[in-house]
Amino acid sequence: MNIAGATAIAGVGNTRQGELPGRSANEIAVEAIELALREAGLSKSDVDGLITCRNVRSEIGNDEQIGLLAGLSPKYSATLWYGTGEFSLHLGVMAILSGLAETIVLCYGTNQRSSRADFGVAVGGGADMATISGLAHVAGPAALAFRRHQHLYGTTEEQLGWVSVAQREWAQLNPQAIFTKPLSIQDYLAADYLVEPLRRSDLTMISDGGAAIVLTTAERAKDLRKPPIYIQGFAEQTELRGYQRPEDLLRPWLGKVADRLWSSTGLGPKDMDLMYIQEATSVWVLQMLESYGFCKPGEAGPFVAEGHTRPGGRLPLNTNGGQLSESYMWGWLHLCEAVRQLRGECGDRQVSDPELAVNCSSHDFLKGAASVLSTRQ
Amino acid sequence: MMATARPLPDVNDAVSAPFWAAAREERLAVQQCGQCSALRWQPAPICPECWTPGGAWVDLSGSGTVWSYAVYHRAMNPGFGDMVPYTVAMIELDEGIGMIGMMLTNTPDLQIGDPVRVVFEHVTPDVTVVRWERTEVAT
Repeated sequence: MNIAGATAIAGVGNTRQGELPGRSANEIAVEAIELALREAGLSKSDVDGLITCRNVRSEIGNDEQIGLLAGLSPKYSATLWYGTGEFSLHLGVMAILSGLAETIVLCYGTNQRSSRADFGVAVGGGADMATISGLAHVAGPAALAFRRHQHLYGTTEEQLGWVSVAQREWAQLNPQAIFTKPLSIQDYLAADYLVEPLRRSDLTMISDGGAAIVLTTAERAKDLRKPPIYIQGFAEQTELRGYQRPEDLLRPWLGKVADRLWSSTGLGPKDMDLMYIQEATSVWVLQMLESYGFCKPGEAGPFVAEGHTRPGGRLPLNTNGGQLSESYMWGWLHLCEAVRQLRGECGDRQVSDPELAVNCSSHDFLKGAASVLSTRQ
Repeated sequence: MMATARPLPDVNDAVSAPFWAAAREERLAVQQCGQCSALRWQPAPICPECWTPGGAWVDLSGSGTVWSYAVYHRAMNPGFGDMVPYTVAMIELDEGIGMIGMMLTNTPDLQIGDPVRVVFEHVTPDVTVVRWERTEVAT
Protein backbone atom coordinates (compact mmCIF):
# COMPACT_ATOMS: atom_id res chain seq x y z
CA MET A 1 0.00 0.00 0.00
CA ASN A 2 1.39 3.39 -0.94
CA ILE A 3 0.93 5.78 1.93
CA ALA A 4 2.96 8.68 0.49
CA GLY A 5 0.74 11.75 0.38
CA ALA A 6 -2.46 9.74 0.86
CA THR A 7 -3.40 11.31 4.18
CA ALA A 8 -2.90 14.75 5.65
CA ILE A 9 -3.11 16.67 8.89
CA ALA A 10 -5.91 19.20 8.51
CA GLY A 11 -5.88 20.70 11.98
CA VAL A 12 -3.90 20.84 15.18
CA GLY A 13 -4.85 22.30 18.51
CA ASN A 14 -3.52 22.54 22.00
CA THR A 15 -4.81 23.88 25.27
CA ARG A 16 -2.92 26.19 27.58
CA GLN A 17 0.09 24.37 29.00
CA GLY A 18 1.44 24.32 32.53
CA GLU A 19 -0.88 23.96 35.50
CA LEU A 20 -4.58 23.41 34.95
CA PRO A 21 -5.81 22.58 38.45
CA GLY A 22 -9.34 21.37 38.98
CA ARG A 23 -9.77 19.93 35.49
CA SER A 24 -9.71 16.27 34.59
CA ALA A 25 -7.29 14.90 32.01
CA ASN A 26 -10.22 13.90 29.81
CA GLU A 27 -11.84 17.36 29.92
CA ILE A 28 -8.53 18.80 28.78
CA ALA A 29 -8.38 16.28 25.91
CA VAL A 30 -11.87 17.29 24.75
CA GLU A 31 -10.89 20.97 24.78
CA ALA A 32 -7.94 20.09 22.54
CA ILE A 33 -10.25 18.18 20.18
CA GLU A 34 -12.50 21.22 19.93
CA LEU A 35 -9.55 23.48 19.13
CA ALA A 36 -8.15 21.18 16.44
CA LEU A 37 -11.54 20.75 14.76
CA ARG A 38 -12.20 24.49 14.82
CA GLU A 39 -8.83 25.12 13.18
CA ALA A 40 -9.68 22.64 10.43
CA GLY A 41 -13.11 24.22 9.98
CA LEU A 42 -14.82 21.00 10.99
CA SER A 43 -17.36 20.11 13.62
CA LYS A 44 -18.09 17.13 15.78
CA SER A 45 -20.41 15.62 13.15
CA ASP A 46 -17.54 15.47 10.64
CA VAL A 47 -15.53 13.11 12.87
CA ASP A 48 -15.88 9.42 12.12
CA GLY A 49 -12.79 8.22 13.98
CA LEU A 50 -11.31 8.80 17.44
CA ILE A 51 -7.86 7.72 18.62
CA THR A 52 -7.01 8.59 22.19
CA CYS A 53 -3.89 8.18 24.26
CA ARG A 54 -3.95 7.04 27.85
CA ASN A 55 -2.01 9.05 30.41
CA VAL A 56 1.56 8.14 31.29
CA ARG A 57 1.43 5.38 33.93
CA SER A 58 -2.36 5.60 34.24
CA GLU A 59 -5.56 4.22 32.75
CA ILE A 60 -7.06 7.67 32.22
CA GLY A 61 -7.69 8.84 28.68
CA ASN A 62 -9.13 5.78 27.02
CA ASP A 63 -11.55 6.12 24.10
CA GLU A 64 -14.56 4.91 26.09
CA GLN A 65 -14.11 7.68 28.65
CA ILE A 66 -13.42 10.38 26.07
CA GLY A 67 -16.15 9.26 23.64
CA LEU A 68 -18.66 9.46 26.48
CA LEU A 69 -17.46 12.84 27.67
CA ALA A 70 -17.33 14.33 24.17
CA GLY A 71 -20.57 12.74 22.99
CA LEU A 72 -18.79 11.01 20.14
CA SER A 73 -19.77 7.61 18.72
CA PRO A 74 -17.61 7.44 15.59
CA LYS A 75 -17.36 4.49 13.21
CA TYR A 76 -13.94 3.67 14.61
CA SER A 77 -12.18 4.32 17.89
CA ALA A 78 -9.08 3.05 19.65
CA THR A 79 -6.70 3.90 22.47
CA LEU A 80 -2.97 3.56 22.45
CA TRP A 81 -1.09 2.72 25.60
CA TYR A 82 1.88 4.59 24.16
CA GLY A 83 0.44 7.38 22.04
CA THR A 84 3.25 9.95 21.85
CA GLY A 85 1.40 11.58 18.94
CA GLU A 86 3.58 9.73 16.49
CA PHE A 87 2.32 6.21 17.21
CA SER A 88 -1.23 7.60 17.26
CA LEU A 89 -0.64 9.20 13.86
CA HIS A 90 0.46 5.88 12.39
CA LEU A 91 -2.66 4.14 13.65
CA GLY A 92 -4.78 6.94 12.24
CA VAL A 93 -3.19 6.66 8.79
CA MET A 94 -3.75 2.89 8.82
CA ALA A 95 -7.40 3.30 9.83
CA ILE A 96 -8.04 5.82 7.05
CA LEU A 97 -6.24 3.86 4.33
CA SER A 98 -8.08 0.70 5.27
CA GLY A 99 -11.43 2.47 5.02
CA LEU A 100 -12.41 2.23 8.66
CA ALA A 101 -12.78 5.99 8.90
CA GLU A 102 -12.21 9.10 6.83
CA THR A 103 -11.66 11.90 9.34
CA ILE A 104 -10.05 10.95 12.60
CA VAL A 105 -9.28 13.10 15.60
CA LEU A 106 -6.25 12.05 17.64
CA CYS A 107 -5.99 13.42 21.16
CA TYR A 108 -4.10 13.52 24.42
CA GLY A 109 -4.92 15.32 27.64
CA THR A 110 -3.27 15.17 31.02
CA ASN A 111 -3.35 16.77 34.45
CA GLN A 112 -0.24 14.89 35.53
CA ARG A 113 1.30 17.98 37.12
CA SER A 114 -1.74 19.02 39.18
CA SER A 115 -2.47 15.43 40.14
CA ARG A 116 1.18 14.86 41.14
CA ALA A 117 1.67 11.78 38.99
CA ASP A 118 4.54 9.62 40.16
CA PHE A 119 7.38 9.41 37.64
CA GLY A 120 9.81 7.96 40.13
CA VAL A 121 9.22 4.41 38.96
CA ALA A 122 11.57 2.31 36.91
CA VAL A 123 10.89 2.12 33.18
CA GLY A 124 11.22 -0.49 30.47
CA GLY A 125 10.60 -4.18 30.24
CA GLY A 126 11.39 -6.54 33.12
CA ALA A 127 12.04 -3.69 35.48
CA ASP A 128 11.91 -5.61 38.76
CA MET A 129 15.67 -5.60 39.44
CA ALA A 130 15.80 -1.96 38.37
CA THR A 131 13.17 -1.04 40.97
CA ILE A 132 14.93 -2.90 43.76
CA SER A 133 18.30 -1.42 42.79
CA GLY A 134 17.06 2.15 42.86
CA LEU A 135 17.17 2.73 39.10
CA ALA A 136 14.17 5.04 39.46
CA HIS A 137 12.87 7.43 36.80
CA VAL A 138 13.91 7.44 33.14
CA ALA A 139 16.85 9.59 34.26
CA GLY A 140 18.55 6.41 35.54
CA PRO A 141 18.78 4.39 32.33
CA ALA A 142 19.41 7.60 30.37
CA ALA A 143 22.36 8.37 32.65
CA LEU A 144 23.71 4.86 32.10
CA ALA A 145 23.34 5.30 28.34
CA PHE A 146 25.03 8.70 28.34
CA ARG A 147 27.97 7.57 30.45
CA ARG A 148 28.48 4.67 28.07
CA HIS A 149 28.36 7.11 25.15
CA GLN A 150 31.02 9.19 26.90
CA HIS A 151 33.15 6.09 27.38
CA LEU A 152 32.83 4.96 23.76
CA TYR A 153 33.18 8.33 22.03
CA GLY A 154 34.56 10.87 24.49
CA THR A 155 31.28 12.82 24.57
CA THR A 156 31.38 15.52 27.26
CA GLU A 157 28.77 16.85 29.66
CA GLU A 158 29.22 20.25 28.06
CA GLN A 159 28.33 18.81 24.66
CA LEU A 160 25.21 17.21 26.13
CA GLY A 161 24.38 20.53 27.77
CA TRP A 162 24.08 22.17 24.37
CA VAL A 163 20.94 20.10 23.74
CA SER A 164 19.17 21.83 26.64
CA VAL A 165 20.70 25.23 25.90
CA ALA A 166 19.63 25.14 22.23
CA GLN A 167 16.10 24.07 23.11
CA ARG A 168 15.82 26.82 25.70
CA GLU A 169 16.80 29.33 23.01
CA TRP A 170 13.97 28.05 20.83
CA ALA A 171 11.56 28.14 23.79
CA GLN A 172 12.34 31.81 24.34
CA LEU A 173 10.84 32.43 20.88
CA ASN A 174 7.71 30.41 21.71
CA PRO A 175 4.97 32.30 23.59
CA GLN A 176 3.46 29.11 25.02
CA ALA A 177 6.72 27.66 26.36
CA ILE A 178 6.83 27.11 30.11
CA PHE A 179 10.59 27.36 30.73
CA THR A 180 11.89 30.55 29.11
CA LYS A 181 14.46 31.74 31.64
CA PRO A 182 17.81 32.17 29.86
CA LEU A 183 20.03 29.09 30.17
CA SER A 184 23.68 29.46 29.21
CA ILE A 185 26.09 26.55 28.98
CA GLN A 186 27.74 27.97 32.13
CA ASP A 187 24.38 27.90 33.93
CA TYR A 188 23.91 24.33 32.77
CA LEU A 189 27.31 23.14 33.99
CA ALA A 190 26.95 24.99 37.32
CA ALA A 191 23.73 23.15 38.20
CA ASP A 192 23.76 20.17 40.58
CA TYR A 193 23.48 16.65 39.31
CA LEU A 194 20.22 14.81 39.82
CA VAL A 195 21.34 11.46 38.47
CA GLU A 196 24.98 11.99 37.55
CA PRO A 197 25.96 12.69 34.82
CA LEU A 198 22.50 14.23 34.21
CA ARG A 199 21.15 17.50 35.60
CA ARG A 200 17.66 18.93 35.93
CA SER A 201 17.88 20.59 32.51
CA ASP A 202 18.45 17.20 30.88
CA LEU A 203 15.06 15.89 31.97
CA THR A 204 11.56 16.58 30.77
CA MET A 205 9.39 18.78 32.91
CA ILE A 206 5.98 17.60 34.12
CA SER A 207 3.05 19.71 32.97
CA ASP A 208 -0.70 19.69 32.37
CA GLY A 209 -2.25 20.26 28.99
CA GLY A 210 -3.84 18.73 25.94
CA ALA A 211 -3.21 18.43 22.23
CA ALA A 212 -5.18 17.08 19.30
CA ILE A 213 -4.69 16.47 15.60
CA VAL A 214 -7.26 16.11 12.82
CA LEU A 215 -6.19 13.57 10.22
CA THR A 216 -8.07 12.93 7.00
CA THR A 217 -7.61 11.89 3.38
CA ALA A 218 -5.52 14.13 1.15
CA GLU A 219 -8.59 14.83 -1.00
CA ARG A 220 -10.72 15.93 1.94
CA ALA A 221 -7.89 17.99 3.45
CA LYS A 222 -7.57 20.05 0.27
CA ASP A 223 -11.09 21.43 0.79
CA LEU A 224 -10.51 22.50 4.39
CA ARG A 225 -9.34 25.77 5.94
CA LYS A 226 -5.65 25.08 6.46
CA PRO A 227 -3.03 23.99 3.95
CA PRO A 228 -2.75 20.19 4.25
CA ILE A 229 0.40 18.75 5.76
CA TYR A 230 0.92 15.37 4.16
CA ILE A 231 2.28 12.18 5.68
CA GLN A 232 4.97 10.98 3.29
CA GLY A 233 5.92 7.81 5.11
CA PHE A 234 6.45 6.21 8.46
CA ALA A 235 8.26 3.35 10.18
CA GLU A 236 8.39 1.61 13.53
CA GLN A 237 10.55 -0.88 15.40
CA THR A 238 10.13 -2.55 18.77
CA GLU A 239 12.56 -3.91 21.32
CA LEU A 240 10.03 -5.61 23.55
CA ARG A 241 12.67 -7.75 25.20
CA GLY A 242 13.67 -4.70 27.15
CA TYR A 243 16.99 -3.36 28.28
CA GLN A 244 18.49 -6.16 30.30
CA ARG A 245 21.03 -6.64 27.55
CA PRO A 246 23.50 -3.83 28.22
CA GLU A 247 23.78 -2.58 24.64
CA ASP A 248 20.03 -2.02 24.44
CA LEU A 249 20.43 0.97 26.74
CA LEU A 250 21.86 2.71 23.67
CA ARG A 251 18.72 1.74 21.73
CA PRO A 252 20.57 0.67 18.57
CA TRP A 253 17.28 -0.60 17.15
CA LEU A 254 16.22 3.02 16.53
CA GLY A 255 18.46 2.78 13.48
CA LYS A 256 16.04 0.26 11.98
CA VAL A 257 13.22 2.82 12.19
CA ALA A 258 15.43 5.28 10.35
CA ASP A 259 16.54 2.81 7.67
CA ARG A 260 12.95 1.93 6.82
CA LEU A 261 11.76 5.51 6.95
CA TRP A 262 14.44 6.70 4.55
CA SER A 263 14.17 3.71 2.20
CA SER A 264 10.37 3.83 2.04
CA THR A 265 10.22 7.57 1.37
CA GLY A 266 13.30 7.84 -0.83
CA LEU A 267 14.34 10.73 1.38
CA GLY A 268 17.22 11.16 3.80
CA PRO A 269 18.60 13.38 6.55
CA LYS A 270 19.92 15.94 4.05
CA ASP A 271 16.39 16.52 2.73
CA MET A 272 14.93 17.46 6.12
CA ASP A 273 14.32 21.14 6.87
CA LEU A 274 13.17 20.42 10.44
CA MET A 275 13.73 17.67 12.97
CA TYR A 276 11.65 16.81 16.01
CA ILE A 277 12.74 14.39 18.70
CA GLN A 278 10.44 13.46 21.54
CA GLU A 279 12.87 13.68 24.41
CA ALA A 280 12.23 12.30 27.88
CA THR A 281 15.85 13.30 28.40
CA SER A 282 18.43 15.23 26.39
CA VAL A 283 20.26 11.93 25.88
CA TRP A 284 17.54 10.85 23.47
CA VAL A 285 18.45 13.76 21.20
CA LEU A 286 22.04 12.54 20.87
CA GLN A 287 20.86 8.97 20.29
CA MET A 288 18.40 9.93 17.58
CA LEU A 289 20.67 12.37 15.75
CA GLU A 290 23.00 9.42 15.30
CA SER A 291 20.44 6.69 14.65
CA TYR A 292 18.58 8.74 12.05
CA GLY A 293 21.83 9.48 10.25
CA PHE A 294 22.17 13.21 10.93
CA CYS A 295 25.62 12.45 12.34
CA LYS A 296 27.86 9.41 12.44
CA PRO A 297 27.83 7.23 15.58
CA GLY A 298 29.62 9.12 18.35
CA GLU A 299 29.48 12.51 16.64
CA ALA A 300 26.22 13.88 18.05
CA GLY A 301 28.00 15.56 20.98
CA PRO A 302 30.26 17.74 18.83
CA PHE A 303 27.35 18.27 16.40
CA VAL A 304 25.10 19.90 18.99
CA ALA A 305 28.02 21.77 20.60
CA GLU A 306 28.77 23.33 17.20
CA GLY A 307 25.32 24.91 17.38
CA HIS A 308 23.67 23.28 14.38
CA THR A 309 20.39 22.69 16.23
CA ARG A 310 20.10 26.23 17.68
CA PRO A 311 17.96 28.98 16.14
CA GLY A 312 19.72 29.91 12.91
CA GLY A 313 21.53 26.57 12.72
CA ARG A 314 21.38 24.28 9.74
CA LEU A 315 19.23 21.63 11.46
CA PRO A 316 16.43 23.36 13.39
CA LEU A 317 15.57 20.79 16.05
CA ASN A 318 12.67 20.88 18.51
CA THR A 319 11.84 24.43 17.48
CA ASN A 320 9.09 24.55 20.11
CA GLY A 321 11.62 24.05 22.89
CA GLY A 322 10.62 20.43 23.29
CA GLN A 323 9.77 18.72 26.52
CA LEU A 324 12.85 20.18 28.15
CA SER A 325 11.54 23.74 27.80
CA GLU A 326 8.13 24.08 26.12
CA SER A 327 5.87 21.54 27.84
CA TYR A 328 5.65 17.81 28.48
CA MET A 329 2.97 16.55 26.12
CA TRP A 330 4.57 13.13 25.50
CA GLY A 331 5.59 14.15 21.97
CA TRP A 332 2.24 15.58 20.89
CA LEU A 333 3.40 19.18 20.76
CA HIS A 334 6.39 18.19 18.65
CA LEU A 335 3.96 17.01 15.99
CA CYS A 336 1.81 20.16 16.35
CA GLU A 337 4.92 22.32 16.02
CA ALA A 338 6.10 20.46 12.91
CA VAL A 339 2.71 21.15 11.29
CA ARG A 340 2.74 24.83 12.30
CA GLN A 341 6.31 25.32 11.05
CA LEU A 342 5.49 23.66 7.72
CA ARG A 343 2.52 26.02 7.37
CA GLY A 344 4.72 29.01 8.21
CA GLU A 345 2.79 30.03 11.33
CA CYS A 346 5.56 30.19 13.92
CA GLY A 347 6.31 33.91 14.19
CA ASP A 348 9.70 34.75 15.68
CA ARG A 349 10.88 31.16 15.55
CA GLN A 350 9.65 30.44 12.03
CA VAL A 351 12.21 28.62 9.91
CA SER A 352 12.50 29.90 6.35
CA ASP A 353 10.15 28.05 3.93
CA PRO A 354 10.45 24.51 5.28
CA GLU A 355 8.99 21.73 3.13
CA LEU A 356 9.94 18.54 4.98
CA ALA A 357 10.06 17.58 8.65
CA VAL A 358 10.91 14.35 10.42
CA ASN A 359 9.29 13.53 13.75
CA CYS A 360 11.09 10.87 15.81
CA SER A 361 9.41 9.31 18.79
CA SER A 362 10.05 6.47 21.18
CA HIS A 363 8.34 4.71 24.01
CA ASP A 364 10.98 4.18 26.69
CA PHE A 365 13.22 1.28 25.75
CA LEU A 366 10.44 -0.58 24.01
CA LYS A 367 9.40 1.04 20.72
CA GLY A 368 10.41 3.63 18.19
CA ALA A 369 8.38 5.40 15.51
CA ALA A 370 9.00 8.18 13.02
CA SER A 371 7.36 9.88 10.06
CA VAL A 372 8.13 12.44 7.41
CA LEU A 373 5.67 15.30 7.03
CA SER A 374 5.58 17.50 3.95
CA THR A 375 3.95 20.58 2.47
CA ARG A 376 3.70 18.93 -0.96
CA GLN A 377 1.69 15.84 -1.74
CA MET B 1 5.02 11.54 58.34
CA MET B 2 6.37 8.05 57.94
CA ALA B 3 9.30 7.64 55.61
CA THR B 4 8.52 5.82 52.38
CA ALA B 5 9.78 2.28 52.54
CA ARG B 6 12.64 1.17 50.30
CA PRO B 7 11.25 -1.09 47.55
CA LEU B 8 12.00 -4.72 48.32
CA PRO B 9 11.36 -7.77 46.14
CA ASP B 10 8.42 -10.13 46.54
CA VAL B 11 10.54 -13.13 47.50
CA ASN B 12 7.47 -15.39 47.29
CA ASP B 13 6.75 -14.58 43.65
CA ALA B 14 6.04 -17.91 41.92
CA VAL B 15 8.59 -17.44 39.17
CA SER B 16 11.44 -15.64 40.91
CA ALA B 17 11.29 -17.20 44.40
CA PRO B 18 14.27 -19.51 43.67
CA PHE B 19 16.40 -16.48 42.78
CA TRP B 20 15.70 -14.87 46.16
CA ALA B 21 16.10 -18.16 48.00
CA ALA B 22 19.55 -18.54 46.40
CA ALA B 23 20.43 -14.95 47.31
CA ARG B 24 19.52 -15.70 50.92
CA GLU B 25 22.18 -18.43 50.74
CA GLU B 26 24.59 -15.98 49.07
CA ARG B 27 24.42 -17.55 45.63
CA LEU B 28 23.63 -15.74 42.38
CA ALA B 29 21.44 -18.07 40.35
CA VAL B 30 19.59 -17.83 37.05
CA GLN B 31 17.52 -20.26 35.04
CA GLN B 32 18.97 -22.38 32.25
CA CYS B 33 16.74 -23.87 29.57
CA GLY B 34 16.70 -27.68 29.62
CA GLN B 35 16.15 -27.76 25.85
CA CYS B 36 18.38 -25.09 24.30
CA SER B 37 20.69 -24.39 27.30
CA ALA B 38 20.14 -20.61 27.10
CA LEU B 39 20.78 -18.77 30.33
CA ARG B 40 17.72 -16.73 31.23
CA TRP B 41 17.51 -13.35 32.88
CA GLN B 42 14.99 -12.13 34.08
CA PRO B 43 13.27 -15.12 35.69
CA ALA B 44 10.42 -16.39 33.51
CA PRO B 45 8.15 -19.46 33.35
CA ILE B 46 9.27 -20.36 29.81
CA CYS B 47 12.45 -19.98 27.79
CA PRO B 48 12.14 -16.81 25.62
CA GLU B 49 14.42 -18.44 23.00
CA CYS B 50 12.64 -21.78 22.40
CA TRP B 51 9.50 -21.52 24.64
CA THR B 52 10.33 -24.65 26.61
CA PRO B 53 8.67 -24.44 30.02
CA GLY B 54 10.65 -24.53 33.25
CA GLY B 55 14.42 -24.63 33.42
CA ALA B 56 16.92 -25.49 36.14
CA TRP B 57 18.43 -22.88 38.44
CA VAL B 58 22.21 -22.74 38.04
CA ASP B 59 24.74 -20.75 40.04
CA LEU B 60 26.76 -18.04 38.31
CA SER B 61 30.30 -16.97 39.14
CA GLY B 62 29.03 -13.71 40.60
CA SER B 63 31.73 -11.72 38.86
CA GLY B 64 31.50 -9.27 36.02
CA THR B 65 32.48 -5.81 34.88
CA VAL B 66 30.86 -2.39 35.00
CA TRP B 67 29.21 -1.64 31.63
CA SER B 68 28.01 1.76 32.82
CA TYR B 69 26.87 3.43 36.02
CA ALA B 70 24.85 6.37 37.32
CA VAL B 71 25.05 8.17 40.65
CA TYR B 72 21.78 9.21 42.25
CA HIS B 73 22.30 12.49 44.07
CA ARG B 74 18.58 12.84 44.50
CA ALA B 75 16.34 9.86 45.23
CA MET B 76 13.87 9.96 42.34
CA ASN B 77 11.99 7.32 44.34
CA PRO B 78 11.60 8.56 47.94
CA GLY B 79 12.07 4.99 49.17
CA PHE B 80 15.79 5.47 48.55
CA GLY B 81 15.89 8.88 50.25
CA ASP B 82 18.22 7.84 53.07
CA MET B 83 20.63 6.07 50.71
CA VAL B 84 21.71 8.99 48.48
CA PRO B 85 24.20 9.38 47.01
CA TYR B 86 24.11 5.86 45.68
CA THR B 87 25.45 4.25 42.52
CA VAL B 88 23.49 1.98 40.19
CA ALA B 89 25.44 0.02 37.60
CA MET B 90 24.71 -2.12 34.60
CA ILE B 91 26.89 -5.15 35.29
CA GLU B 92 28.02 -7.35 32.43
CA LEU B 93 28.40 -10.75 34.06
CA ASP B 94 31.18 -13.08 32.98
CA GLU B 95 28.47 -15.42 31.68
CA GLY B 96 27.26 -12.70 29.28
CA ILE B 97 24.16 -11.57 31.15
CA GLY B 98 23.46 -7.91 31.85
CA MET B 99 22.15 -7.22 35.34
CA ILE B 100 21.18 -3.90 36.93
CA GLY B 101 22.41 -3.56 40.48
CA MET B 102 23.23 -1.12 43.25
CA MET B 103 26.84 -0.83 44.31
CA LEU B 104 27.40 -1.67 47.98
CA THR B 105 29.05 1.68 48.60
CA ASN B 106 29.10 4.87 46.61
CA THR B 107 32.35 4.61 44.66
CA PRO B 108 33.15 8.07 43.27
CA ASP B 109 36.08 6.89 41.16
CA LEU B 110 34.22 3.94 39.62
CA GLN B 111 35.14 3.38 35.98
CA ILE B 112 33.48 1.54 33.14
CA GLY B 113 35.29 -1.78 32.83
CA ASP B 114 36.06 -2.09 36.55
CA PRO B 115 35.72 -5.69 37.72
CA VAL B 116 33.01 -6.27 40.32
CA ARG B 117 31.65 -9.16 42.33
CA VAL B 118 28.29 -9.83 43.81
CA VAL B 119 27.64 -9.18 47.50
CA PHE B 120 24.50 -9.95 49.41
CA GLU B 121 22.66 -7.54 51.67
CA HIS B 122 20.47 -9.33 54.18
CA VAL B 123 17.79 -6.68 54.60
CA THR B 124 15.36 -8.76 56.67
CA PRO B 125 15.38 -12.42 57.76
CA ASP B 126 13.43 -13.24 54.58
CA VAL B 127 14.79 -10.73 52.09
CA THR B 128 18.32 -10.63 50.74
CA VAL B 129 19.07 -8.28 47.88
CA VAL B 130 21.89 -8.50 45.39
CA ARG B 131 24.48 -5.71 45.35
CA TRP B 132 27.95 -5.28 43.87
CA GLU B 133 31.42 -4.19 44.92
CA ARG B 134 34.54 -3.37 42.99
CA THR B 135 37.29 -5.96 43.33
CA GLU B 136 40.09 -3.89 41.82
CA VAL B 137 40.57 -0.79 39.72
CA ALA B 138 40.71 -1.49 36.00
CA THR B 139 44.05 -0.67 34.44
